[in-house]
Amino acid sequence: MKKGLTFTSILLLVSAITVLAGCAQSTKEKESAQTEPANSQVQTELIYASAKDINDMNPHLYTGSMPAQGMIYESLVENTPDGIKPLLAESWDISEDGKTYTFYLRQDVKFHDGEPFNAEAVKQNIDAVQANAEKHAWIKLSTKITSVKVIDEHTVELTLSEAYYPALVELSMTRPYVFISPKDFKEGGTKDGVSGFHGTGPYKLTAHKVEENATFEANEDYWGGAPAIKKITSKVLPAGETTFLALQKGEINFVFTDDRGADSIDVEAMDQLAESGDYQLVRSEAMNTNMIVANSSRQNSPVQETAVREALWVGIDRETISNDIFNGTQTVADTLFSANVNYAKVDLKKREYDPEMAKQLLDQAGWTLASGEGVRKKNGQPLAMKLYYDSNSSSQKIQAELIQYSMKELGVQLEIVGEESTSIANRRATGEYDLLFNQTWGLAYDPQSTIAAFTSDSAYKHTTSGIAEADELYKKIDAVMVSTDEASRQSLYADIMKIVHDEAVFIPITNGRVTIVAPENLEGISFKQTQYELPFEQMNFKYIN
Amino acid sequence: MGSYIVKRILLAIPLLIIISFITFVLINLSPLDPAVVVLQAQEVPQITDELIAQTNEALGFDQPFMIQYANWIMAVLQLDFGNSYVSGEPVWSLMGPAFMNTLKLTLVSSVFIIALSILLGVICAMREGKLLDRSVRGISFFLTAMPSYWLAAIMIWYFSVKLDMLPTSGMDSYRSYILPVIVITVSYTGIYFRTVRSSMLSNMNEDYVLYARASGLSEKKVTLHILRNSLQVAVSIFCMAIPIVLGSTVVIENVFAWPGLGRLSVKSILSRDFPIIQAYVLMLAVTFVLFNTLSDIINAAMNPRLRKEF
Repeated sequence: MKKGLTFTSILLLVSAITVLAGCAQSTKEKESAQTEPANSQVQTELIYASAKDINDMNPHLYTGSMPAQGMIYESLVENTPDGIKPLLAESWDISEDGKTYTFYLRQDVKFHDGEPFNAEAVKQNIDAVQANAEKHAWIKLSTKITSVKVIDEHTVELTLSEAYYPALVELSMTRPYVFISPKDFKEGGTKDGVSGFHGTGPYKLTAHKVEENATFEANEDYWGGAPAIKKITSKVLPAGETTFLALQKGEINFVFTDDRGADSIDVEAMDQLAESGDYQLVRSEAMNTNMIVANSSRQNSPVQETAVREALWVGIDRETISNDIFNGTQTVADTLFSANVNYAKVDLKKREYDPEMAKQLLDQAGWTLASGEGVRKKNGQPLAMKLYYDSNSSSQKIQAELIQYSMKELGVQLEIVGEESTSIANRRATGEYDLLFNQTWGLAYDPQSTIAAFTSDSAYKHTTSGIAEADELYKKIDAVMVSTDEASRQSLYADIMKIVHDEAVFIPITNGRVTIVAPENLEGISFKQTQYELPFEQMNFKYIN
Repeated sequence: MGSYIVKRILLAIPLLIIISFITFVLINLSPLDPAVVVLQAQEVPQITDELIAQTNEALGFDQPFMIQYANWIMAVLQLDFGNSYVSGEPVWSLMGPAFMNTLKLTLVSSVFIIALSILLGVICAMREGKLLDRSVRGISFFLTAMPSYWLAAIMIWYFSVKLDMLPTSGMDSYRSYILPVIVITVSYTGIYFRTVRSSMLSNMNEDYVLYARASGLSEKKVTLHILRNSLQVAVSIFCMAIPIVLGSTVVIENVFAWPGLGRLSVKSILSRDFPIIQAYVLMLAVTFVLFNTLSDIINAAMNPRLRKEF
């Protein structure tokens, strides 16, 4: 009887396995049947993996996915490597005093829901943004707009409280000064949510399954011409390994990174895909700078001293970080802003990796190493500091460890602490840190946004306020933002960059770039001025089956 | 029996109140200003003092702690967990679909876990010490010890990429269930079948088995008798299998991009979306308490002695 039972059980087990295998088998047949017609469609379709859902696509708030918002919404003007270019505004005039901007709008633009894009829509949108001005404090333009006036159907006038030169740059950003159909407004505004997501951009949002995927279809009536890629799907794939496997299988065919390497698969996986011949890797120019921020105003900390910060700078081997930690995907940064940032072509003294010089600097500053001891001291105080990094960033952790080791060789005791990015932002705001990892705002925002943050309590006020020339620095920052003269702006920016460079409060490490993994036959891949968006509408496939 | 059930349920209530309080306190122990957390979750690029004051007032963070707790618990009792800090949508409208997705995965997996555990447990007990018993236990030990994300990656690589049989991830059709269910089943069956096996073995040595055999019952009937008694012990363990699997799908959901509770909770933790974290913790705790109560009731129904002890 025992035998009988065992036999039955094994039979059951085997049949269970067979059923499972059978399921799998039949699905294989189904799938191969499905992929035949799909093959020809694939040529006009991109499916990209994203670590996050597209979230709330309200363009006047900040939780939506920027690449997705960039496909749907457009701004009045566009920021390009050659400066500000027309977009929804064909041209514009700026008054003598720099306070009045008159925009002449394109006349052939409609929102995705068929509503006309006109001066009235511009006014309603900008008014809706201004109604929530506290949330937009980071964008200084929001504090300067006093009124928006409809001159005629396609002319709109923006009045500022004072001249503000980066106005056009800030109007070109992905958010908040972009336009959504006024029909989508809730209670006449957008700050409490919107009822739909109709922009004027090259793609329309046609489907969204929360935490699964979102589908964007080409706007055939797009004023700039219908895009060649007809369908773009954003698929939520949180794990790097799964993303890599899905790329190999062809379930997704496009991946790109942002400045922090999020939304990404690792460098080795990217190389492997490129080697397979099915994919190409495309890298942008430098988009931003990853850096260590030193708190010059920290009481009783060695980080207050310029010599200590300078020693730290020359004591960090950025070549090794760039080559070994980032496999060359990030390039060595010598200054806070890379040379392709506006106004950043400034002659600043280069600080190469030089541990001997670091030791000299520390010796001269009185931080001496007694024989038989590992840590330098001055008046009995050890040369000890803490460096905070984002615990979710594996590359920051490795960099922190490398820097800790280099500092130990110099007799500097560096404690490294990993924390959530929100805690780090909190430390930056309260000044509870010696050193922490951070990055500049990026090409589209710099230099003005990062420099404006030098004076902001919630950003870099603690970093900059301890240096001797702090007052002078802040005066220059105020002056540069309202200057109407190009030459004086250039010289003010040069002074600002020189002060923080000489004081070594922002220690640059590497320049971040955007990396795209795309099908080998995809053409027209380019980048925008931000690390967050891509011009999908310019892409097309080389040959169509 | 009726009074036992009532008593047992009444006992669960103070437990749930304590859990709700701890959930609320733990989250409020965070050193960060709650308004700052909300604004960071909304990815506001720059947080000003005015904005913090405005948010504190709007969300009632300026009120005393106990009033905040009372307001929260009163709302929770009406299944209102507040709004997500990130999207502003009601927590339940986000948790509901995610919960259903995870529940589907959990129930399908639990059926397989329970069926396989009983099957393997019985087979191994009947063949105690034999090659079959030893090899099943050996393999299960190996599979249980294997990290599930690793197993998942291998399965995706083999079945999805190499053989091109199944989707790598997502929740599109019944085919999407196959790999995650296999991984969950493999990870848990090893634990549960051992319980069935040892329970079978200890029952085999009981007097009633000797008596049954002595009174000439067929071996088949004796085995079924042992199985029935062994399963009584296993019932409470199986009852707990559902909340355990429910609460531990985080890794699997992340690997397979399954839009469930595990993923939602990780995302909420990373963005400090406290209303969702609170609802998640509370909901899991309630599920554990409920299933624990349920298993006690089932046990009591099967074994009258337990009712008297209570």
